[in-house]
Parts: sequence; structure tokens; C-alpha cells
Amino acid sequence: MLDDLPGRLYTARTALTRMSSRLPKVVVNDVSVSFESHGRSVLALDRISLQAHAGEFLCIVGPSGSGKSTLLRVLAGLLRQSAGEVRIEADHPGSPLTAMVFQEHALLPWRTVRDNVTFGLENRGVGRSEREARAREMLAMVGLTRFAAHYPHQLSGGMKQRVGIARALANDPEVLLMDEPLAALDAQTRTIMQEELLRIWATLGKTVVYVTHSLEEALLLGDRIVLLSARPGRVSRIYRVELGRPRGLEVRAAPAYGALLETIWAQLREEVVRAMADDRGSSADGSGA
Amino acid sequence: MRTLGSWLAEHSIAIVSPLVLLAAWEWSSGRGVLREAFFPRPSTVAVHLAALAADGTLWSHLTTTLIRIGCAFALAAVLGVVLGLAMGLWRGLREGLDPVLAVIYPIPSILFLPLVGFLVPPGEIALIVTTAVTSFFLIAFTTTHGVRQIDRVVLEAALHYGARGWRLFTAVLLPGSLPSIFTGLRLGLGFALIVVVAVEIVSSSRGLGALLWLSWQILKVEDMYATFFVIALVGAVLYYGLASLQRRLLPWVQDAADR
Repeated sequence: MLDDLPGRLYTARTALTRMSSRLPKVVVNDVSVSFESHGRSVLALDRISLQAHAGEFLCIVGPSGSGKSTLLRVLAGLLRQSAGEVRIEADHPGSPLTAMVFQEHALLPWRTVRDNVTFGLENRGVGRSEREARAREMLAMVGLTRFAAHYPHQLSGGMKQRVGIARALANDPEVLLMDEPLAALDAQTRTIMQEELLRIWATLGKTVVYVTHSLEEALLLGDRIVLLSARPGRVSRIYRVELGRPRGLEVRAAPAYGALLETIWAQLREEVVRAMADDRGSSADGSGA
Repeated sequence: MRTLGSWLAEHSIAIVSPLVLLAAWEWSSGRGVLREAFFPRPSTVAVHLAALAADGTLWSHLTTTLIRIGCAFALAAVLGVVLGLAMGLWRGLREGLDPVLAVIYPIPSILFLPLVGFLVPPGEIALIVTTAVTSFFLIAFTTTHGVRQIDRVVLEAALHYGARGWRLFTAVLLPGSLPSIFTGLRLGLGFALIVVVAVEIVSSSRGLGALLWLSWQILKVEDMYATFFVIALVGAVLYYGLASLQRRLLPWVQDAADR
């Protein structure tokens, strides 16, 4: 019976999501970002428009240099867009709009696991007892209860990233942002973490914006996949992943999975090839490669 | 908790090597390979050391030197860390002071003694200030470096999770630079010992440096070696003491000072 709990939670969540699924949680409207580089202005993102619905797991993929991380940093408020607007609907006053899970975990090395998890709450002036309760809850969710008093350097890569996830979730953000959180992990750990992520997401029903360079990962996790084009990043296409929920690794055997993978890869491949051609063109001026 | 036995086993090389050196010295001095008038046997030196300790001479000089190091180091540490942090945080200050420090820093500290004598009352205070100069520069340098080397990604994460202002300083910038600050403190303490002995030789009748120099001038070579040994021991105790303090205070630093 307990085995079915994630499934039932999922069903409840789905019902909720259905009701609110037309409610956009994140609205990105014509957002452009340009950088100054060697005295020239380089366009990183070009008029990006997309939405993430409440409770949706939205994946963003694209060739390297397509500005996936830049887009996430704009959503996180770490970077200001040059044009356009970003709107995140706040349903719970007092919660931060976003919390980010960084690619290289970015934990504070001088804080224990517990104190890393409570860091955001401390900064917002949440009381000690509530912080501790919250940390206990989150560490239990990511399976690190026994490691609360450890320092980050005593943990494996996968465990560090779990702490990063717990730290983000402890803030109860409106939207969870994840920047290739599993890219640095070995293949086995990554697979296990993907399943963990699905379980956590099914339990909490958070809106997630997830950047990855792995199509397989996007297909396993996402409700929709936004494909960005090579520099400058534009929304190339948006795919709906109709693979049912709850989803596990067995989804990889489904014919629909293979078909969608094929479709998106064909488009992504085009973008990658164009990006490579651009790189050659710009780096080989005159040398005639 | 480690047992004494396993500690000895782990550090056997570090314990055995000076003993071997002492034994070799004892042997060559006793056999006339080294002239005993200039290189007395360690066992003779030990007898003189015991005599110096017994009549109180050693303790009074040792206390004087330790108080001077303590004052000079405290001065250097407080001012060095404050200036270092400020330079780490404010680019203008860093760029303005860097060339000045780079020019002053390599000057042998002892040369500051007459200069310092113009600025502060000569005597004890001038001695302490001179001792502090090089340590101060070292500590300021390493502290600046400590602030600069904090991982950008960690800093960005801290900002993202709402750390601002004073809180950003106490929870992120300061702990992030502590490993470097400690390195600076250890180096600075070592330099304080070197300089204080040198300053005592030229300008004081008290302290281990003065005792060493006096023993040399009146050819009490055994006393000179005994003082030598005490100075070396003070250096080792200060160095390892600060290293173990670092391990205690900064448990997150891997292999702190172990290597």
C-alpha cells in the first residue's frame, strides 16, 4: 500500500495541477540579454518568450552557448535582462520567488550540511526552532539525516547536490530553478538522482525550471521541453512530453519516448551543427579553415 | 582520540630525525671531528641550559621575548587583518596600496628600527613596532588574497540566498578568507620571532636575542647554543600551536597545516 503512495500523491497533485494548469507561474516576455565582451556587445539571449505553468516541470535544452544558464540566472535575479520582462506569480507571501540549485553545488564549505540548508532562512530572519525543523524535514526528504553535522568536503558529489536541493527547497520558493544539477555526477549517481528528483517533485508539486544538456534527462523529467537555438539563444521550439506520470526509467523503453527523442534530436542537431559552423566562421577569419 | 603510541608511530620520522642529528653532533664533537670550543657537545649544552634555567636567567629573558612577540604579533594581526580585509573588499584601496606595500615589504625589518625610533618613543615601544612591521605586511597580503580567492560561485549562491551587507561579511566573506588569514598569521608569527631576536641583538640588553649575543661576546659558547635551542623551541611551539588552533577553529579546511 505504501508502495503506491507516490502514485496516489501524484494523482492528487495532478488534479490540483489540472485546475491550475492554465495558470502561468513564470512568464518570460521578449527577454533579451547582451554582454559587453572585448568592447563589443554580444547578444546572448534574443527575445525569449515562454511560460511555465504552476506545478509544471519545464526543461530547457540547447547547444552549449545557447544561453540556457543565462536565462536561468535572469529568472533567479542574479542577472538583469537588457530588455523584456520576467514575471513570477507569488502565491505565498513571504516565500522567495526562486531558489536555485547550482551546477557545482556551491555550498558554503565552512557550514555544516544543516547550516547550509538553513542559510537562506537565516538570512530572512526565520527563527531558530523553525529553521531546525525545516532542515530536519528537508534532510529527511533527500536522505541525509545522518549527515546533518558533516561538512561539505566530507560528502560525495551526489550527496553535495542533495544538500544543494535541500537548501533550495528549505526556502519553499515559488519556483525551483536547477542549472544542470546532475551534470557533474557519474552516470549511476545521476540516474539515482533523477529518480529522487521525480519523487521529490511529485511530493511537493513545485514548479521547476530545469536546464540540462541531456535530452534523455529532459524526456525523463519534463512536462515540456524548450529547445533553445545556438547563439544568440532563441526559442527554437517547445515540445510537450506525453509520456504519462508517474514516470520512471522504464519510460525509456516506450515507443513514444524513442520517437520524441528522435524528433527533438534532429532539431537539436541542426542547432549544434550551426553553432559549430558559427564558431569556425568566427575563429578562422582569414586562416581559411 | 588517538593514543600516544599511534601518535608516536605516525610522527616517527619527525621525532627520530633531530635525534639522529644530535647524536651525530655529540659523536663528532666528542671525537674531535668538530672543535669543541666552537661546537660543544649537545650534552654539555644541556648542562648549561639547565644551569641557566636554574638561576632564573633563562626565564626572565624568555618572558621578556615572549611578551614582546605577543605584543608585536597582536598589533600586526589586528592591523594586518583589518587592512587586508579592507583591501580585499575595496578595489580602489587595493590598487592604491598594492605598489606601496610591494616596495616596503621586502626591506629587511631590522632597518625600520631607526625609522620607527623617530615616530614612536624609542625603547620598548620602538622595538615592538619594528617587530610587528614585516608580520603586518605578510598578514595584510594573505588576508587580501583570502578575500579575493573566495569561490565566485559560492559568493553568487550566498547572494542568491539573501546574504547582504554585514551578514554577507560575517557569514561568507570572513569565514571564506579565514584559511588564508591563518596562513598569514602562522607566517607572521614566525617572522615576529626572527625579527624580535634580531632587534634584541642590536638594541636591547634583555630578551633571548640579547642573551645569545652577550654569550657570544664573552665567549660563553655553551650558553649561546643553549639560547639557540630555546629560540628554536619557541619557534616550533608557536608554529605548531597555531596550526593546531587552526585545525580546532576551522574544521572545514581539509588537511589544515598537516602537510
